[in-house]
Amino acid sequence: MNKKVVIIGGGIAGMEASITLAELGYHATLLEKSHSTGGHVQDWYQLFPNRRPAKEVLTFSELRMEGKVKTINDADIIEIEKNINDFRILLRNGKLVVADAIVVATGFDLFDAHRKEEYGYGIYENVITSADLEKRFSEGKKILTHGGAVPKRIGIIHCVGSRDEKSGNNYCSKVCCVTGVKQAIEIREMLPETEVFCFYMDLRMFGRHFEELYKESQEKWGVNFIRGRLSEANENADGSILLKVEDTLAGKPLKMKVDLLILLAGFVPSGGTKAIGKMLGLPFGDDGFITPKDEHTSTNLTDIQGVFVTGSCTGPKSIQDSIADARAAATQVANYLK
Amino acid sequence: MKVEGKRLIWKDYQKEIAEDKFFYVRSCIRQTFFPGSEWAFLKIMKEVLGKDVYENPAHTTCTGIGYHSDIVPFDTTMTVVARQFALMTEAGYQNLVPSCITSFGLYTEVMETWKHFPEEEKKVREYLKKATGREFEVPKNLAHASDIIYKFRKQIAAKGKYRLINKTTGEPLKVVEHIGCHYAKMFPSKGVGGAEYPYVLTGMVEDWGGEVIDYPERRHCCGFGFRQYLVKANRGFSVACSKKKFESMAPYKPDMIITNCPGCPMFLDRWQYVISEMEGKTYGEDGHGIPVFTYEEVAGLILGFDPWDLGLQLHQVPTEPLLNKIGIPYDPFKKYLGKNGEDIGIPIKPSMLNTQ
Amino acid sequence: MNKLFDKLQEDVRFREGLKACINCGTCTAICPAAEFYDYDPRQIVDIVQTRNEEKIEALLKSETIWYCGECMSCKTRCPRGNVPGLIICALRSLSQELGYFVESEKGRQQLALKRTIGKSILKTGYCVSPELVAAKLHPEQGPMWEWSQQHLPEIYNRLGANYKGDGPGALRKIPEEALDELARIFEITGGNKRFETIEEFSSKKAKELGLELDSGTDSEYFLNIYTTNNNRHNKK
Repeated sequence: MNKKVVIIGGGIAGMEASITLAELGYHATLLEKSHSTGGHVQDWYQLFPNRRPAKEVLTFSELRMEGKVKTINDADIIEIEKNINDFRILLRNGKLVVADAIVVATGFDLFDAHRKEEYGYGIYENVITSADLEKRFSEGKKILTHGGAVPKRIGIIHCVGSRDEKSGNNYCSKVCCVTGVKQAIEIREMLPETEVFCFYMDLRMFGRHFEELYKESQEKWGVNFIRGRLSEANENADGSILLKVEDTLAGKPLKMKVDLLILLAGFVPSGGTKAIGKMLGLPFGDDGFITPKDEHTSTNLTDIQGVFVTGSCTGPKSIQDSIADARAAATQVANYLK
Repeated sequence: MKVEGKRLIWKDYQKEIAEDKFFYVRSCIRQTFFPGSEWAFLKIMKEVLGKDVYENPAHTTCTGIGYHSDIVPFDTTMTVVARQFALMTEAGYQNLVPSCITSFGLYTEVMETWKHFPEEEKKVREYLKKATGREFEVPKNLAHASDIIYKFRKQIAAKGKYRLINKTTGEPLKVVEHIGCHYAKMFPSKGVGGAEYPYVLTGMVEDWGGEVIDYPERRHCCGFGFRQYLVKANRGFSVACSKKKFESMAPYKPDMIITNCPGCPMFLDRWQYVISEMEGKTYGEDGHGIPVFTYEEVAGLILGFDPWDLGLQLHQVPTEPLLNKIGIPYDPFKKYLGKNGEDIGIPIKPSMLNTQ
Repeated sequence: MNKLFDKLQEDVRFREGLKACINCGTCTAICPAAEFYDYDPRQIVDIVQTRNEEKIEALLKSETIWYCGECMSCKTRCPRGNVPGLIICALRSLSQELGYFVESEKGRQQLALKRTIGKSILKTGYCVSPELVAAKLHPEQGPMWEWSQQHLPEIYNRLGANYKGDGPGALRKIPEEALDELARIFEITGGNKRFETIEEFSSKKAKELGLELDSGTDSEYFLNIYTTNNNRHNKK
């Protein structure tokens, strides 16, 4: 077949969509804004629920792409022109890419934790995000406080930038809870003398093996869970972090000192999702993500002929969700192009 | 701690503060406990900065304390507020400057309520017309008096005689800045710097040479709590809140506290005296306590106003140690004299607090 | 029947203050009253949102709703845009309207506030003035205040005030016409009605308790409500 499909966004959803389309016999071109494909999974160390290495999932895709998918990195899209029969995508470097169908896979960004002011990210050095922690894991770094000591107690905060009118995001980012449980276990394994406290409102263990992971975190690793959303973090004179929270199950306010605080930052629609969605004239929901043609029956279609959506650009998703969704999108494209 | 992190947040909370032509409304508490501060504010505005500040003597309390004691219904409070607006409108002004933080919070709350519930504004217009015959326009700009001093802090620094620096060591003074709860907690976008890292006092301190201390209980209420202080049986709550703050700030060895709400400096000042009597404990150096100031007093000191004109003699925690640190001269014999220099006696010394 | 909840809904502060609570606890975590009193704003909001008539009535008669200091720290934190402090304002207003406030030690104190602050507003046009903070009733103000109370005009005028004078200035005499306007505002908007309600129910309660109550601030009942603390207000 000579039909050309352009996939915008080289994260795992975009990668998987491009491979599936290539395997179905289409010319698949993957446009990626940054220097390399792989998206956020490049920054992760081990994946929930079974703590398998993130690299394995990337390699699985990368190997299958080789020789089959044309990848253009550093592809900064400045204009998309829709004609009767095709699309013309103009890159900043002047290159023009033509497509018979487009798959938008522009994904998410992590909530910028600076914006949750009362948690002190970017002000108190011992406050970091889950992404910062995961990076330390990936780089094989020791988990130490800013002062270089082994933390005696670490706090993990759920719902940072999610389920929060003040942060501007009312929605749940879905995967942070299980990420928190995973990271709690990883910390406990690395630092057996360190206490870990997770501060949550709900524990969203929605996927297969998630609830069992939570059970393991308690039974095998002694992770503590306190049902109370963090209200405020302050810095003590020694650089440790003072937490103000309510233990809602006990019905009492609680002040707790931790040596390191980890913020589970949620999802927001990425800059690319906002820009490409606008360029194509796609509708956005109140939550800022792209709204597909039908949220039950046609989650990969849009109201624009030839434009398809997949991955986190239509809402927070796990890696499993994204890969499955990408393959589904590919079948929809194939259906359209036949 | 990375102060640059705070600067990013401060950028997001800039607010419109009028340049000139202010309608000034006074504060029940500030007049009662810090009258020199209102005098200083007006002197600075008119004589130092050359601004037009107008006061209509027919203005009254905004009823804020009564409202927050829940004895004055919201309809009554809104209508009294509307009357203040009417006096402002009639005088041809559009920029309202309250001296009190509770007032500032209340005016903001009333205007926001009317935005969400326009029928409330309509109702209040009718009430005001019926009760007084007056009509009003909502202020175009509402800024607290501390916002104005903040806006002109650099000009004040330029004309200043003194800086918030320890003249012996050359080091900036360590300053605790305490913001009134009703300044930004209700409507963070209406406070310079927002609710979490307010900048209105920090900006003054920084431009006047001092260094702001961050301590864990920085945002904690001083404990006024309206009914929690006004009724004797409840006062334990009030002193406990202030004590919490003192215990938290003490390790950072602050030289002084600066506040923008009129009630807070009274409480932070008097509760140190009370704690010293109740528990024998004093904060600060040599049993002197940590001196507490209104921002008007600090601005006045910077500009070289006489401390006893500013009203520092009405502080229970002595301010002389701080004046000495800065190198501001004062005549100890003039401290307790009356308006015409008459001798009206001196207060008894407290048993624990070292008032020299 | 959710009559009490419906009544609360009539108060604009209640409508501003209650959206829906997910029991996250960020309000209680930051609340100064929750630190010192047996008080939990989250639980109060959670109770109110059930709309349950009995539970809300119990709340209106309880000590609980009088612990709040109206600092509004709760407003800065709630992820659902609720304001427990405003809900408290509405509960306190309703509790007074229905006379339930006299059923609690803290609630009965409303009479003291009415006869001090409330009286001051109508008499002087100020909520608070130096005379109201009499040194004998306020030993916490310290010896400096005691001294200043003996020389009010000399000290205050030295500090630029216009103590009880005509024209502008701190602590000026607020003109009669202005006080008349305030009085008419209080009459039309229900301010006087609130004051009368507080007096009426307090008077009944004083009789019930067998305590003398006159119109001043010296009688048995007044001193009782102003100073009594049963020491059962803190957490166990």
